[in-house]
Amino acid sequence: MNTQNKNNNTVDDTKYSMETHLIYGKNVTKKWDYSHHVLPPISSSIIYRLDSVERGAEGFIEFANSPITGEDPMPIYIYDRLGEPNKDILEENLAYTERGEMAVTFATGMGAISALMGILTKSGDEIIAHHTLYGCTYSLFTSWYPRYNIKVNLVDLTDSKNILTVLSEKTKVVYFETPSNPNLDIIDIVSLREIVDKINEQRPEADKIKIVVDNTFATPFCQRPIELGANFSIDSLTKGLGGFGTDMGGVVIGKMKYRDMLLLFRKDFGAVLNNKSAWNVITYGLPTLSIRIQKQIQSAQKIAEYLNNQNKVEFVNYPGLSNYKYYETAKKQMIDFNGNFSPGSLIYFVLKGKNAIESKENAKKFMNYAAKNAYTMTLAVSLGHTRTLIEHPASMTHSMVPIDKLSEYKIDPGGIRLAAGLENVDDIISDLDKCLNIV
Amino acid sequence: MGFSTDAIHAGQKPDPVTGAVITPIYQTSTYAQEELGKHKGYEYGRTHNLTRQSLEANIAALEKGKYGIAFSSGLAATHALMGLVKAGDHIIASNNVYGGTYRLFELIMKDYGLEFSWVDTSELKNIENAIRKNTKLVYLETPTNPMLNLTDLKGASEICRKNNLVSIVDNTFMSPYLQNPLTLGCDIVLHSSTKYLNGHSDVIGGIIITNDDSIHQRIRYIQNAVGAVPSPFDCWLILRSTKTLAVRMERHNKNAIELANFLAESKLAKKIYYPGLANHPQHELAKKQMKGFGGMISADFGEVETAKSLLKNVKIFTLGESLGGVESLISHPASMTHASVPKEEREKMGLTDSLVRFSVGIEDIEDLIADIKNALNSYY
Repeated sequence: MNTQNKNNNTVDDTKYSMETHLIYGKNVTKKWDYSHHVLPPISSSIIYRLDSVERGAEGFIEFANSPITGEDPMPIYIYDRLGEPNKDILEENLAYTERGEMAVTFATGMGAISALMGILTKSGDEIIAHHTLYGCTYSLFTSWYPRYNIKVNLVDLTDSKNILTVLSEKTKVVYFETPSNPNLDIIDIVSLREIVDKINEQRPEADKIKIVVDNTFATPFCQRPIELGANFSIDSLTKGLGGFGTDMGGVVIGKMKYRDMLLLFRKDFGAVLNNKSAWNVITYGLPTLSIRIQKQIQSAQKIAEYLNNQNKVEFVNYPGLSNYKYYETAKKQMIDFNGNFSPGSLIYFVLKGKNAIESKENAKKFMNYAAKNAYTMTLAVSLGHTRTLIEHPASMTHSMVPIDKLSEYKIDPGGIRLAAGLENVDDIISDLDKCLNIV
Repeated sequence: MGFSTDAIHAGQKPDPVTGAVITPIYQTSTYAQEELGKHKGYEYGRTHNLTRQSLEANIAALEKGKYGIAFSSGLAATHALMGLVKAGDHIIASNNVYGGTYRLFELIMKDYGLEFSWVDTSELKNIENAIRKNTKLVYLETPTNPMLNLTDLKGASEICRKNNLVSIVDNTFMSPYLQNPLTLGCDIVLHSSTKYLNGHSDVIGGIIITNDDSIHQRIRYIQNAVGAVPSPFDCWLILRSTKTLAVRMERHNKNAIELANFLAESKLAKKIYYPGLANHPQHELAKKQMKGFGGMISADFGEVETAKSLLKNVKIFTLGESLGGVESLISHPASMTHASVPKEEREKMGLTDSLVRFSVGIEDIEDLIADIKNALNSYY
């Protein structure tokens, strides 16, 4: 980022912590001169008046044409689907938070994923993805991409070398979530980068493999994949970044040279973020990100430790548990802006049972009881909310994964996903205790 | 400019910086100042807000006024007007104004030393007779809620001018589309913008419009000093609504005329109060000072049980307070909007326990008529 004074549009980011930056963003932006309003107005117009046909033409030339206009122009706004002040302000702040050069927002997280994959691949290309993915990403890759003749190879990327087993000349993208949804596998971004770099040495620029990380579970508070070597980071703004469960949204963060393609894709495929939703993330989501996630991590750690000590629980996956399989990798890459270990707000656990069927029955009993009786736990999909949410991946978020594939992807039939909210943690634990008692 | 043109354009020039055609929601509480004493005319959200200013300019234009001053509710606007008088002053008010206005004046403002005379202002001489040395304001509502009595605004404003009194008209029932009291010589117009101005039953708001510089100054001062200001988002929602005010009012008016005619012809109601009916005692005055008859009808069904059954059995009409929304509402003034008026006072003006008030929405009129027919049939 540039280092200029406040009146001159930027801030000295070496002097201030990210917690502070999350509140101010760029503070003053060329994207919209609202400099005397402490908060940006909510833009509420689909169209923008143009002074002349010439200015209109200039606007259309400038749109998605960074090589001509250079970086960060004061845009000529034309039509909401092309661009609008609230989204532009949010994008500047998100790029900054995720440590990328640019960000482009979308209507949902899936809108962001399909846009990025849309510009990185074409018919005949291949994608390597971790075998445990969010259900709708899995569905995008396995139900839709075959229609476009894009092949997706699902492998276990917790061992980086596994990409070599499915690598081909056609491979264009390595895609994964870390922690993965729902079971919190941790994938070593640095180690994958090293392997991909070696492969890329042999390839011309256009064919170099890109690493794409869905950072939704961690949020940029816990992890900045681009700093660790990813080419792109994707977030669902619906989750921790939005934080209040009021609005949908998604974002792709990466190098400036991809911004134009993403804008064109968004223009033509149309998954545009609503300006009011953008305003909510600017006004509530980002400024409270650090206090919300810090609190959720503290609670998740205590909850994970509690669950870990219950004899009705088979196992607990939480990156902050020292006995967790991926603890060391997590400790290396999940760190907050100040260098503290930040293992996130998600917990995955499985209840005991004589067999998989009984374990699933116990999980259902547990969740149905919680749905009716727990004050601090809500049975619902989504995560990163003010409320603690629990859900059953096998029948909800991951119901698109065929039953016979569940165990291959390490999604247990009786697995429970818990997303810590902002309640008093003792209340959550006491509710968990009640629910475990009836199993 | 014509009404519909003003509704869409007045106060809503494209945003000077971006060209945004629709006014942004300036959702900020404070404004950064360049240095001590140097700012762009915006200091604090209670005092200044761009979205609110757009709304005020818009509705002022619709009421043919110079100034609009917006409030967080109709009653907050009414209360602000009390800042034009002081202890010992006397106010003449229409005797069947909205119940909340009655409550504000009688149960609150009286304790601050204000005197009120409640008179039937449909007879102009009643206003003249009530004037005292200390009379300062005449507060009118026409048509009244819920009895739909009219006051001759031209005549009333002449009396006020002659006697140096400030005339105020609550124009909520008519909306600026159907009646403009300022053009009839009145000094101040007041609206509950919750009703027809907003029309979608999703905002509480009020506004005062005037041409008088000193009244504007005083009310503007009160708006800031007392602080009952509307939120920027609510202002934006009302701005969204005024754009369709003309087409909505045309339809409210048309539907209400048809419903009133149906009630009259079917003889289902004992008595119908609607200025659009030829037998309304002030039908001629209505034709003279209003551009239509509005969407509000009251009807007396004779028996409390009939009224109750109607209120209970309607399916499209919603039993609820408020009025002026796109959806039809039905209410029971005696126990709802006018419960704060003593029973004897109510009965005197015809506001019986069997009176039902209709806020006719913009649904298909055939469905509305069928709904009332069915609801009454299930009783008979």
